[in-house]
Amino acid sequence: MPLPAFAASSSDRALAGVCGGIASALGVDVTLVRLVFALLALAGGAGIVLYLALWLYADGRPVWLAGLGVVLSGSLLLHAVGLSGRAVAGIALVAAGLAVAWRHGAGLRPDAPLSYAGYALVGVGAVILLAGGGDAPSPLLAPGAVAGGLLLIAGPWLWRLALERDAERSARIRGEERADVAARIHDSVLQTLALIQRHADEPRRVASLARRQERELRGWLYADRPLGDDGTSVVAALSTAAADVEDVFGVRIELASSGDAPAEGALVLGAREAMTNAAKFAGVDEIDVYAEVTETEISVFVRDRGSGFDPDAVPEDRRGIRESIRGRLERAGGSASVVSTPGEGTEVELRIPRSAP
Amino acid sequence: MSRRVVLVDDHGLFLAGVKAELGDAVEVVGEAGTVAAAIPLIEDLDPEVVLLDVHLPDGSGEAIIDAIAPGHPDVRFLALSVSDAAEDVLAIIRAGARGYVTKTISGEELAAAIERVASGDAVFSPRLAGFVLDAYRSEQAGSELDELTPREREVLQLIARGYLYKEIAARLDISVKTVESHVSSVLRKLQLSTRHELTRWATQHRLV
Repeated sequence: MPLPAFAASSSDRALAGVCGGIASALGVDVTLVRLVFALLALAGGAGIVLYLALWLYADGRPVWLAGLGVVLSGSLLLHAVGLSGRAVAGIALVAAGLAVAWRHGAGLRPDAPLSYAGYALVGVGAVILLAGGGDAPSPLLAPGAVAGGLLLIAGPWLWRLALERDAERSARIRGEERADVAARIHDSVLQTLALIQRHADEPRRVASLARRQERELRGWLYADRPLGDDGTSVVAALSTAAADVEDVFGVRIELASSGDAPAEGALVLGAREAMTNAAKFAGVDEIDVYAEVTETEISVFVRDRGSGFDPDAVPEDRRGIRESIRGRLERAGGSASVVSTPGEGTEVELRIPRSAP
Repeated sequence: MSRRVVLVDDHGLFLAGVKAELGDAVEVVGEAGTVAAAIPLIEDLDPEVVLLDVHLPDGSGEAIIDAIAPGHPDVRFLALSVSDAAEDVLAIIRAGARGYVTKTISGEELAAAIERVASGDAVFSPRLAGFVLDAYRSEQAGSELDELTPREREVLQLIARGYLYKEIAARLDISVKTVESHVSSVLRKLQLSTRHELTRWATQHRLV
């Protein structure tokens, strides 16, 4: 857990500047801090010990020395409140044990190495407490103090655990988002850049490619338009995608369909990528696309009669088929298969189950 | 021997383009831009194939087929359109057209389609194949329309996916002639279905 940076104050000091340092680290008035220390000093001298401990810590002395001071001052405080010496000793042992365990394993995470010494101290402290609980001035005070002490010790750890879990979850979500963004960028921006390089000597075409890409990117970034979803049906979205690919690559795409359903982003984007691949690599000027919607699933076939390729020979790092098509479909619960024969053409088949109405 | 063809389309630019693309593959004996002009022209010229647009300024291609077909059973019709609603395309097939192709078709393919229609076969574009599959899947229609056989469905699906007849034949391990007969059989079933059945399907389709 990130603690506020603490250093003894050199400007705002009455004794060693500890109160001034705490006040500036916590952002409170220094008088308030001094008042708290004065009150604690009245409680069996706890404030004085705590002051010394913090001064040692701020001075760069070993942490355990300061920790010892904190435990000692806590004991004095508890004693002043009226706990028996036995109970105070128990609590002090538990606290010291937890501190040792904590430092040793860098926390109490399940995968951290155990500190037997720390747990032994905790155990001895607990036994003393339980055995001597009877002589507490009030039956409520001892357990209450123990619970409060434990909460103080375990609180930061629990807090950190929650933070870590949140961090892990958001890291996972970020990872998935990044995969989607990467696929999107690959489909659009990288394709456009490749085209611009190829047409570098045709300024008008370059300008129109750039404008088009800008429009698309803006629509995606700022209009919060869901990926691949133009708010219509699968067939409408496919025909928009086909028109785009026709525009960019100068091919003709023959779209046939049987049935229709609300658009599925992953399917449409995967099909778009398959059309783009056919337009770029097959060396044909016509591509056939067929969408079939049944009760249970939507399939899209993208076929060209072009050069074809050996699917096993495509390098792993070629994102097109592996990530933009197969990965995308699989993340959405569907599947993709590619049948290609060198010299005869390629057919990409995309399937996705229909989402419940 | 090239086929004698009449073109019926109201887009002059498109007509000129088709003529240029077809070149010597067929003999274009006449052109018309409206239903009213096309009917007497076709009756007069008696061509082998009429290439007609689904939509014309004064009516539909269907009206021409209705007027010509009874008196001239040998005239074959091939519908040609940009991108139409399923119900219009199916209606013109039902009226008697032996095929449907989109205007984006290449000159070479169009010439092949005309030849196929002239020799009595059916020509289904991928788009039409999709429409037909859809019409037959719709449950209410299925109960009244003559069911398609599994093989006919298979053939239609491959057409929709863009396979040529010879590619379908290779994939299904049958002859091209068999593929042609499956397609003609589907066409026959479509044309035997009543207008009412198709209209009902089309209405449902539009509502989907």
